[in-house]
Amino acid sequence: MRVRFWGTRGSLPVAPHADAVLAKVARALMIARGRSFADQDEATAFAREETEFATHATYGGATACMEIEADEEAFVVCDMGSGMREFGVNALRRCAEGHPRLYHVFLSHPNFDHVMGFPFFRPAYETGARIVIHSGHPDAEAALRRQQEAICFPVPFETLRAKIEFVTHPPDQPFEAAGLTVSLIRQAHATRGSYGYRFERDGKAVVYSTDAEHGAEDMDAEGAFETFFAGADLVICDTMYSLGDAVSLKQDTGHASNVVAVDLCHAAGAKRLALFHHEPNGSDEDIQRMFYETLRYEELVRGERPPLEVLCAYDGLEVEV
Amino acid sequence: MDWRLSNDGARLVAQPAGRVDEESWKDFSARLTAAVHEAVEAKLPLVIDLSGLEYMTSKGLRVLTMAKSEAKGAIVIHLAAPNAAMKRILAISRYNMLFPVVDRVDQVGG
Repeated sequence: MRVRFWGTRGSLPVAPHADAVLAKVARALMIARGRSFADQDEATAFAREETEFATHATYGGATACMEIEADEEAFVVCDMGSGMREFGVNALRRCAEGHPRLYHVFLSHPNFDHVMGFPFFRPAYETGARIVIHSGHPDAEAALRRQQEAICFPVPFETLRAKIEFVTHPPDQPFEAAGLTVSLIRQAHATRGSYGYRFERDGKAVVYSTDAEHGAEDMDAEGAFETFFAGADLVICDTMYSLGDAVSLKQDTGHASNVVAVDLCHAAGAKRLALFHHEPNGSDEDIQRMFYETLRYEELVRGERPPLEVLCAYDGLEVEV
Repeated sequence: MDWRLSNDGARLVAQPAGRVDEESWKDFSARLTAAVHEAVEAKLPLVIDLSGLEYMTSKGLRVLTMAKSEAKGAIVIHLAAPNAAMKRILAISRYNMLFPVVDRVDQVGG
C-alpha cells in the first residue's frame, strides 16, 4: 500500500504570506553562505540536505484528505477536505491513463473542513464516475447536499453527473471495499463524534484517526484505541494541540495531542505514526518544532519497546507501507 | 510505581517513584486523589516530588489534570524536582504552563 497526503491541515485551509516565503529564501541563502551551484538540481539537493524542512519546504495548508493506493480497481480516499481538489485533478490524469473511475471515500465526520473539498472535486462532475461515500454518520449525505445549497455554493448537488452513493456503517462490523478490509471506531469529537478507520490488506494495516479527543476523564476508553491501532504499520493521528492545551484551553473541541498519539501507538505496538491535522495558526516552524518535540518525547517514554518511527505529514507526502 | 506521602506541617509531599505509564496510572490516580483530599482537609499545599520519577507518560499527566480538578481551587498542586527527562516532558506537553514547577520541595509552603 502507498499512502499519499493531499491535505494535512486542521480546521481551516491556510497559505503562507509572501513574507513567510521570503524569510525561507533568506534563511536558505544565509545557510548557503555564498556557495555557488552548477544548476538548479544541485541547488535543490543542497536545500533538501543542508536546510531544515521548514526552510526548504512547507507542511501545506489544505485540509484533511488522504489517499491509500491499494487496489488498481478503485481510488481510496479518507476525508474530503480542501486537499480533495488537487486529488481530483490528479485522479483525472490517472483515469486518462486507464484507471477505473471508481472512488471509495471514507468520511471521518461531516464537519466543514472535512467535506469542503467535495464541491471542487472534478470527478464528481463526470458522467461515468462512481463515488461511494462510506461514513459512520447517517447524515453524511445531508451535509454534502447542504453545503451545495444555493445560499452556499452555485452548483447544486443534484446536478453532479457522477453516480454518488452513501453507505452508513456501524462501528462493530468490518466490511470489504476496494480490496481492503475496513473497520470503524467511534471517536469523541465535540457533540456528534467522529469515526476512525483501519484498513487492512495482505497483512499490512493503516489506521486513520483524526478529530479524536482523548480527554483526562475517559482514559479508560483508550484501551479500545490501543486494540484498534494494534500492530498497525502506519497510524495517522490528529495531533493538533499540545496536551496542556488539549486539556485546558482547547478542551471539548475534539482534538488530540502529539504525546497521546505516541502513547497510544506505543501501547498498540504500532510501527509508524504520522502527525496530522496541523493547527492552522501554526507556521511551518511551529509544526516542525512540534515534530521535533514529538521525536524527543517518543525517546523519553519508549522504555524497553522498539522505537516508534514518527513522521510529520505534509501536503504531498507519500509513504510506502 | 512506588509511592510515599508525608506531612511536615508546611506541606503535604507526595513522592511517586519509578514510572507513571499505562501500567501504573490508575494506582497513581487513586493515590493522588486521596492525597488531594488530605491536603484540602489539612489546608496545606500539595507538592508532588518528582525526583524519584523516571518519567511520566500522557496518562500520568492527565491524572495531574484530574487532581487539579478534584482540588477545586482549594489548594495549589506544585511539581518539584523533576529530573531532566521529566523537565523535558513537562515542557513538551506544556504542563509547565498548567502547574507551578519548582526545583526543591522546600520552596513550597512554610
